[in-house]
Amino acid sequence: MAISAATKAATDALAVNRAPVSVGAQEVHRWMQSFTWDFEKNRTKYSTKYKMANDTKEQFKLIAKEYARMESVKDERQFGSLQDVLTRVDAANRVHPKWNESMKVISNFLEVGEYNAIAATGMLWDSATAPEQKNGYLGQVLDEIRHTNQCGYINYYFAKQGQDAAGHNDARRTRAIGPLWKGMKRVFSDGFISGDAVECSINLQLVGEACFTNPLIVAVTEWASANGDEMTPTVFLSIETDELRHMANGYQTVVSIANDAAASKYLNTDLNNAFWTQQKYFTPVLGMMFEYGSHFKVEPWVKTWNRWVYEDWGGIWIGRLGKYGVQSPASLRDAKKDAYWAHHDLFMIAYALWPTGFFRLTLPTAEEAEWYEANYPGWYDMYGKVYEEWKARGCEDPNSGFLPLQWFIENNHPIYIDRVSQVPFCPSYCKGASTLRVLEFNGKKHSFSDQWGERMWLSEPERYECQNIWEQYEGRELSEVIAEGHGVRSDGKTLISQPHTNKDGRLWTLDDIKKINCVFSDPLKAL
Amino acid sequence: MTTSSNAYGAGIMAKTGKAFADEYFSEENQTVHESNEVVLVLKKSDEINSVVHEILLGDRKADNPTLIVEDRAGYWWLKATGKIEIDCTEVSELLGKHFSVYDLLVDVSSTIGRAYTLGETFTITSELMGLDVKLQDLQTA
Repeated sequence: MAISAATKAATDALAVNRAPVSVGAQEVHRWMQSFTWDFEKNRTKYSTKYKMANDTKEQFKLIAKEYARMESVKDERQFGSLQDVLTRVDAANRVHPKWNESMKVISNFLEVGEYNAIAATGMLWDSATAPEQKNGYLGQVLDEIRHTNQCGYINYYFAKQGQDAAGHNDARRTRAIGPLWKGMKRVFSDGFISGDAVECSINLQLVGEACFTNPLIVAVTEWASANGDEMTPTVFLSIETDELRHMANGYQTVVSIANDAAASKYLNTDLNNAFWTQQKYFTPVLGMMFEYGSHFKVEPWVKTWNRWVYEDWGGIWIGRLGKYGVQSPASLRDAKKDAYWAHHDLFMIAYALWPTGFFRLTLPTAEEAEWYEANYPGWYDMYGKVYEEWKARGCEDPNSGFLPLQWFIENNHPIYIDRVSQVPFCPSYCKGASTLRVLEFNGKKHSFSDQWGERMWLSEPERYECQNIWEQYEGRELSEVIAEGHGVRSDGKTLISQPHTNKDGRLWTLDDIKKINCVFSDPLKAL
Repeated sequence: MTTSSNAYGAGIMAKTGKAFADEYFSEENQTVHESNEVVLVLKKSDEINSVVHEILLGDRKADNPTLIVEDRAGYWWLKATGKIEIDCTEVSELLGKHFSVYDLLVDVSSTIGRAYTLGETFTITSELMGLDVKLQDLQTA
């Protein structure tokens, strides 16, 4: 009777390398690698233009037993802390109200990224041919499932134990109207799971994880602690204990293609596209959440970005790979400009569009305005004086009849949405790297904020067909759209989002919005 | 206060306002510069705090004079030139219980550089493992 290829492989391996009987995990790991699996008939959802070598290593030599033991210890520590001491000291109610709102965004959005990373790493498992590389990707699939649960749990914990649950619970129901959702899906979903498998790895592992998880999951814990939040460090630092293996997976993906001729043709373009895709969203959104969503500041966002993104990721990951032909991303200059200014631009627009969100925003206090001006010279003349005007017009008060969006309309500063990143921008009132470009395709106009996205769109315009909120709700009145998009609390009339975090301040309702008669219009129609 | 170039607030990070902006936007800083440093983030815990205080800043401090360790609330931030190594057999002796390299990984939160394990040693290095230097498997007798 014929034996299977796997049985024969095991028999042959045992003949040259007996299975150890009293062993450490790495002896087992070495033994298992002598199984020479045949992956010639691999099938993948999306193939890759690169040829991945079949001798790539997994840097931590993990076997399932040690993996499971490690992860169970992490979970015991995390859930033990949350359910015991942090609940006992009422930690969720010690969080500053502004930061409580930031975590509605950060954890809900990260959950989406983790969920899509499950599919992304499954696709990479399909694509790789090296057994150890597959082992690394498989561990990552399991990690991403754990992270999805962790992110969901922290919002559940905040909603159950803390203050103002609306937005921590069921944030997704606002995904059609919230202007930050679609851009988040571009970086956290489309960029990870659609297209060439190695390109997806560059987006997810080499840029998303090796670069942006450091501010998103590590540095954020400092901001959290400074603002009274001890739940987020407990969970996020535990999430990050898996990310080092993901970064190694991304690096080994590059190792696996380093000697492929296609690498010299395509890698720098793919790296630049991935860097721009990820930074275009993460840079302004994280900066906005850290600085405008906190009361106590740790350091200017641009310094956090300069350390983790430019100096360390740029120098230690990308710079060191220079001798293998990897170049500094061509879009770095624009990215640096964005790191200094784009979060200020985005906050201004986010505050103007606050009724469409699922979290509460607060304008800077006088003390904060001083901090901004000291760290970003020129901030007051561009942003601070506008916020003073908005406050004077009663932007926080439902009786004022004033939405900051009106200020943009009155001053002829149309807000466009970048077709590729889905990030809103106002080209006539911004200091970041955005400039307006408009192209027509199939009888429809498309706006772009930069040359990098425009180039990506030109190479595959059919990829970026997602409708933005202006196109989707053209001609519709705002309160109707909010009601239709589930942007209200359980009473059916009070908005989830609010333009203040004042516990004694009145909350806006659909009726307050309706009185203003704000109607959606697509600025591209006027061009 | 440390004057090491590896410190969290070293170099441009010590500047504020216009001085920071001038250097940040200077022409030479519009491309990445190769760095021989490594960064390690360790989640604070009973065991990790002992590793930091008793080994990295204790018995082994002289082995790696470039190493900087900073307290960043929930985690320790470490930066060194070349590499950082932690031998978990030493940690076992310190703690008085078996502590494997996988026990260490429970609280290793982030790495910038090439991190790997070999036996009971955890290493993060600026070397390009798998490209310039072969990644070794455990060798047993």
